[in-house]
Amino acid sequence: MHGIKRVHQSPEAAQVKKLRDQAKIQEYLALTDEILSRKKNQDWSVDAFRLTSRLLQINPEFYTVWNYRRNILILGIFPHSSLQDVNNFITDDLSMTTAALRSHPKVYWIWNHRRWCLENVPNGPGNKGENDYSEWKKGNWDKEIYVVEKILDADPRNFHAWNYRRYILASMPVSKPLNSELHYTARKIEANLSNFSAWHQRSKILAILWDGKELFSIKSKEDELELAKNAMYTDPDDQSVWVYHRLMRKGNNKILLEREVSAIQELLDEQPDSKWCMESIVHYTQLLLRNHASSVDSPALTSYCQSLLGRLQRLDPLRQHRYKELGVSK
Amino acid sequence: MSSSPSSSQLELKIPLHVAYIKSLGENKDDLAYHLTAHLRINAIYWGLTALCVMDHKGALDREEVIGFVMSCWDEEVGAFGAHPRHDAHMLSTLSAIQILVTHDALDRMDVPRVVKFILSLHQQSGVFAGDAFGETDTRFTYCAVNALSLLGHLHELDVDRTVDYIVRCRNFDGGFGSGIGAESHAAQVFVCVAALAILDRLDVVDVQTLGWWLSERQLPNGGLNGRPEKLEDVCYSFWVLSALAIIEKISWIDADKLTAFILSAQDLEGGGIADRPGDMVDVFHTLFGVAGLSLLGYPGLVDLDPVYCMPVSIIEKRGLRKQWKALERRKS
Ligand SMILES: [Zn+2]
Repeated sequence: MHGIKRVHQSPEAAQVKKLRDQAKIQEYLALTDEILSRKKNQDWSVDAFRLTSRLLQINPEFYTVWNYRRNILILGIFPHSSLQDVNNFITDDLSMTTAALRSHPKVYWIWNHRRWCLENVPNGPGNKGENDYSEWKKGNWDKEIYVVEKILDADPRNFHAWNYRRYILASMPVSKPLNSELHYTARKIEANLSNFSAWHQRSKILAILWDGKELFSIKSKEDELELAKNAMYTDPDDQSVWVYHRLMRKGNNKILLEREVSAIQELLDEQPDSKWCMESIVHYTQLLLRNHASSVDSPALTSYCQSLLGRLQRLDPLRQHRYKELGVSK
Repeated sequence: MSSSPSSSQLELKIPLHVAYIKSLGENKDDLAYHLTAHLRINAIYWGLTALCVMDHKGALDREEVIGFVMSCWDEEVGAFGAHPRHDAHMLSTLSAIQILVTHDALDRMDVPRVVKFILSLHQQSGVFAGDAFGETDTRFTYCAVNALSLLGHLHELDVDRTVDYIVRCRNFDGGFGSGIGAESHAAQVFVCVAALAILDRLDVVDVQTLGWWLSERQLPNGGLNGRPEKLEDVCYSFWVLSALAIIEKISWIDADKLTAFILSAQDLEGGGIADRPGDMVDVFHTLFGVAGLSLLGYPGLVDLDPVYCMPVSIIEKRGLRKQWKALERRKS
């Protein structure tokens, strides 16, 4: 249970609730029993299908009933349906889960069922080779992007929705240009710098673009560091930005490390108590010391790190032991 | 003096929590009890393990618990569901095995069939599915690895393929996600790191980067969150702490402040621990609260193994203990 306030109930109120619950419990248990009995008897009928709709509306977490529902479709309904009807059934189930997700956006089983639906959209209408052969698939996938965006509008950190989004993008019948996904993450980040889920997605999309040489990675990395830098100046306490900066600044190139250190130093001069500035300077400086010991002023850098780590211990006491350890380890 | 003591004076109200857990089976007048039947066997594992940590293992009747577990057997599939007549699933199967191992009653179940069920869910990519419908998640990988290890059948697992998938879920921030491309999340970090610990493959963990990311989960109020810029929650006390214990970096967070935060989420009247102070309690957060306290060396608690989330003594007896480090138990 998450985020539900504890309420103090008087004995009278508890009694009223108990009486009210009684009827509901009986109805719920009777429905459950009927469905589980039909399931045991391998009843794959439309009647049984409708009962599962009713129960799942009350309790979308009842995974056994989702399983049963899919089995009814696969074993009882689809074999006797036209492809058009199969598509209709699936479209209906997608609508049903859209409604369910609105009130239960974090229930794994609803997301699963949605995925199953999508994977079972038939080819058609028309015949193989014809233009509209995968019209149903295209239509359903396009709708999915829209649905998942609505859910991310309501909760931009919902990881179910982000995972599902990645799945949709990867499995679309006609793939969407990755650049448009890059724009999407930019919009999400602009709306809220703290949205690390969007920064994360951005890093993953960029990695694909760099791998495929669709973006010139050196130039693109520079752009990302610039983006991160702007965000740092907007809110130097926002952890998301600093983690992203570290992802983009992977590597041991001396010139680049030195450049980042001096850029962050500039911000630290403006914000002398910025924990993240100090922590990042230590991180990048230690990389310099580890990889370029012979060509940097080691004693000076080491002593600067020590002084920053000393300040960090006082400024961020929760993590003081980590800072102590960083000071002794190479 | 105010009537509510400050959190620094709070202590763990063991008798209240024991009574709370014992009472959970008596809520049949409550609609919520029936709506959570799909989690029943998990809830029994959470409750039993919390009782073990508080040294009250006997508070739930052994035979009754074992009888319930066996009533969840799904004969068609050859594994355990969450409740009688519910379908078998990886999540409920691990809980069933953990309960039976805790009660030294593995002889009651058909081990070869369960091993077959688990191995049948291993996918080509190396991840595990939760059931035959095929949802995959690194959570299920942990369930499979943990269960096979407890059953003494880990040698039947294709370890390289399993590890390979986990490695592909590793992110630049040192953490792990639920699948390839997914954002790092403390609960997924726990399942991946603990699975790697069981498989003796912690060499693929970037300890410095992961330790950094995990230590940054602690918020000024002492609580831990699961991802950057999210709210604190008692259950992360376990996910984050256990991962820190496995990479031997618990000292990288402030133990006193976390202890105080967990204690402040107790319900001092009805017992149990909530996700946050003032919220409704449940048995899930009660376990992960006391589990966190055990790893933090809270006095009077029983040692908990962070890899298996079971009492250390039981894991040691089976010769399964891995390298990890919790805080030393305080005397008072
Ligand atoms: Zn929680």
